[in-house]
Amino acid sequence: MNGPHDLGGLHGLGPVQPESNEPVFHAAWERRAFAITLAMGAHGQWNLDQSRHARENTDPLTYLSQSYYEIWLRGLETLMRERGMVNEAEIQTRMAELSGGES
Amino acid sequence: MSDHHHQHPPSDPTLRVKALESLLVEKGLVDPAALDVLIDTYENKVGPRNGARVVARAWADPDYRQRLLIDATAAIAELDYSGRQGEDMVVLENTPTVHNMVVCTLCSCYPWPVLGLPPVWYKSAPYRSRAVLEPRAVLTEFGVHLPVTVEVRVWDSTAELRYLVLPMRPAGTEGWSEEQLAALVTRDAMIGTGLPLNPAEVPS
Amino acid sequence: MPTLTADRVEAVLRRGGSARVDDHVAPRFREGQRVLARNIHPRGHTRIPRYVRGHHGVIHRDHGVFVFPDSHAGSGDPRPQHVYSVRFEAAELWGPDAGGRDAVYVDLWDDYLEAAP
Repeated sequence: MNGPHDLGGLHGLGPVQPESNEPVFHAAWERRAFAITLAMGAHGQWNLDQSRHARENTDPLTYLSQSYYEIWLRGLETLMRERGMVNEAEIQTRMAELSGGES
Repeated sequence: MSDHHHQHPPSDPTLRVKALESLLVEKGLVDPAALDVLIDTYENKVGPRNGARVVARAWADPDYRQRLLIDATAAIAELDYSGRQGEDMVVLENTPTVHNMVVCTLCSCYPWPVLGLPPVWYKSAPYRSRAVLEPRAVLTEFGVHLPVTVEVRVWDSTAELRYLVLPMRPAGTEGWSEEQLAALVTRDAMIGTGLPLNPAEVPS
Repeated sequence: MPTLTADRVEAVLRRGGSARVDDHVAPRFREGQRVLARNIHPRGHTRIPRYVRGHHGVIHRDHGVFVFPDSHAGSGDPRPQHVYSVRFEAAELWGPDAGGRDAVYVDLWDDYLEAAP
């Protein structure tokens, strides 16, 4: 698709900003999102090309404002939702249950 | 906390990821112990020191260098580096007249077995957009200044070939061991946005 | 496939998932041949970036036969075909003021290319 991921040659996206002594993961949730993505991929319910398409198949505003692992998370959820492996209602319910003791 | 439910994307996905993991474990789709191994592998076990050893061997051993240039996958596997996101490797040789630089404009393809997971800048829009468009400007920002007599080749990893740059061996390293040579090889030198350290630059 | 367990992780990562296919598919192009990247705009997944479409390049290397992502992402059909490293001169892509002797190499499948005079 002529999607927001096809970035070669675009102007105006700012300077390259390397981070010195950059950690592999910048937050605990990134570790989990990375690992869950690989573990779910191991089921063979989708191929790599489908997983890339799930990440890139969104509007430019969403794609360009999301961090790398946010893009992975959205892509994974799309793939799982399409196959009936998980749905938004149960995610919301579980989030409420997990945060119940903290609010 | 409830107002976060109506914002997409969440600014801190921590709770959502926790919920997702919890659901997937409950459904038997994910084994938490496997997650820990996956994380440990890429956080601690696999990284650019692997690629540095490949480069150092190529510098020290001309026969290995030839094997690396002819069949990179097999030569890299001699050091027991192989597998996911490195199944089909190509090594790009820097010379006095050619400098190579690697990008994945479409996503973040990167040779995991030899370099580990890519840094954020490699996966981000500025590098992905500018590397193919104005490589010399990008290189200058990384501190790499090349004369016009050097041809810059930018390799866009659009397929499943994964690229590793073989930098030129720094002067003044005659007789160095592979371990000493590997210490000169930076991650950025193997992506092509940097050059190896000179002997004088090695931290003691 | 069954749930991935901790003891299987290393073997799974080592095996990886090469997209190379051991099929005797004839290549349409040869090294050194001039080609045109087609001006196609697939609505589904594709790996031909917009910046090369409609531009001329030269086949630098034939990488061999691989799964075709456009069909693989859609119907799951692998449609194996040759992938080539194609060299595009900077000036061809970005105009006469760009890049001197610099070039961009892009890996492109047979279906993305046409022969060019």
